[in-house]
Amino acid sequence: MGLALSAVEGQPAADPWGFAEVAVETWAEILRPQSLDLALLVAFLALAVVSFMRKSVPLKLVTFAFAIGYMGFAKSYLISITNIFSALDWNWPVPKYNLAWYLFFGFTVVSTVLWGRLYCGRICAYGALTQALDVMLPARWRFEVPKAIEKRASFIKFGLLAALLGYYLLTHDLLIYQYVEPFWMFGMFGTTIMWSMLVVLLAVTVVVRNVYCRFLCPVGAALGLMSYLTVFKIKRWSECNTCKMCQKTCQWGAIEGPRILVTECVRCDDCERLYADTAKCPHWRIIEYNEKKVRVFTLQPVR
Amino acid sequence: MKRFGVLILLFSTAGIVTLAAQTKRIFTNPRPEPHFKTLFPNAVGFSAFGGTPLHYKVYGEDPKANPAAPPIGFIFWTTDVVPNERGYHGAIHFLVGMDTKGVIQNVVLDYNSEPYGYFSLDPPPFVAQFKNKSIRDPFRVGGDIAAVSRASITIASAARALRDSTRIMAKTFLTPDQVK
Repeated sequence: MGLALSAVEGQPAADPWGFAEVAVETWAEILRPQSLDLALLVAFLALAVVSFMRKSVPLKLVTFAFAIGYMGFAKSYLISITNIFSALDWNWPVPKYNLAWYLFFGFTVVSTVLWGRLYCGRICAYGALTQALDVMLPARWRFEVPKAIEKRASFIKFGLLAALLGYYLLTHDLLIYQYVEPFWMFGMFGTTIMWSMLVVLLAVTVVVRNVYCRFLCPVGAALGLMSYLTVFKIKRWSECNTCKMCQKTCQWGAIEGPRILVTECVRCDDCERLYADTAKCPHWRIIEYNEKKVRVFTLQPVR
Repeated sequence: MKRFGVLILLFSTAGIVTLAAQTKRIFTNPRPEPHFKTLFPNAVGFSAFGGTPLHYKVYGEDPKANPAAPPIGFIFWTTDVVPNERGYHGAIHFLVGMDTKGVIQNVVLDYNSEPYGYFSLDPPPFVAQFKNKSIRDPFRVGGDIAAVSRASITIASAARALRDSTRIMAKTFLTPDQVK
């Protein structure tokens, strides 16, 4: 893919044109302008992975801050439906000049295969924003979506994904993204209609937390489908068949008794922290009871 | 799993078909003549589209009256000269007018499918900065090229396309002494 600037074969050693850039770029020249970008991206991804591995809430919140501030507003690194359209077109940016973008995209795919919708839960600037809102806004403002509606509503995003793919194959209208995603907000450029729709979405998000990510995001739907390949699944125990604590704790509707719904789970780790908690999770309490004959557990209010 | 397999199959087929299509010339606006006035307001005649790389020659004198008249410039699509250059989503179609001294007369943005093109490439200030620009300039975004927006992948690709296509045309049809 090298762009040879010389159209003449057998060019003498001294380039008579003397353009500001040399005739054929070396890798050092290609990498140097991108090195800061790459370094910062690696640092952010490392932070996100560490926060996930350690199941640390403070680190997760720091990750959200950098996801919103750096990945969002500073760089606008977000996976968009336009990237899926580009996959259909086989039409992506030139790799050697956009290494950070490819690292970002590659990390998203790999992390989804390894852990599921981790991208949605930690990396996506909008996902970070909506989860940060959930942390900052009062819990009593939450409107709990009835179970019956919740299950059916989560299918909307798949329908939307299919509709958008069909629409794009027919029309090649890339700009449809403006009306189905809010990620452009981090670029701070939008039409009045776009901003109005965003305001409505954010207002709904105040009461129905993570509404876009759970029910409407076509990228989340695509990553959710890829999540069927998840290598490192969330651990479940036989007690999970009857206990409902994690299910009630999960803000994403991703737990159904013993089953984790991989298309909904964004690895927020609320459940993983809960079942690692030896004071709360029945699995540990029952083991402790059998060993020491202590009371199984005192009833705790669920978050 | 089966669902995923079907998706993979669909993507691969679409990809192979599109890849096969890449060997052909990137399809550009077949009637660019209305833009010629913007690029060379004083020109009186243009050659047919041809040559390698594909281009139109621009004449200051009517070539029918004076067949020996030399061209005063060239008009070409960046997609013909640097077909491998792509922005965020596909090639950006610039029609460029360059004179025989290696000075860009003007640039017309004819087509792009960049998601953020509407606030980076489309607004006139972006192409306006290439008017009367020498191809010897560094074409560095953030240096002699204003990015206009933070759509960095798009703008960087546009700057590269304009830099490399004009230089390749100069190297093919001009001599180093002509380009100051």
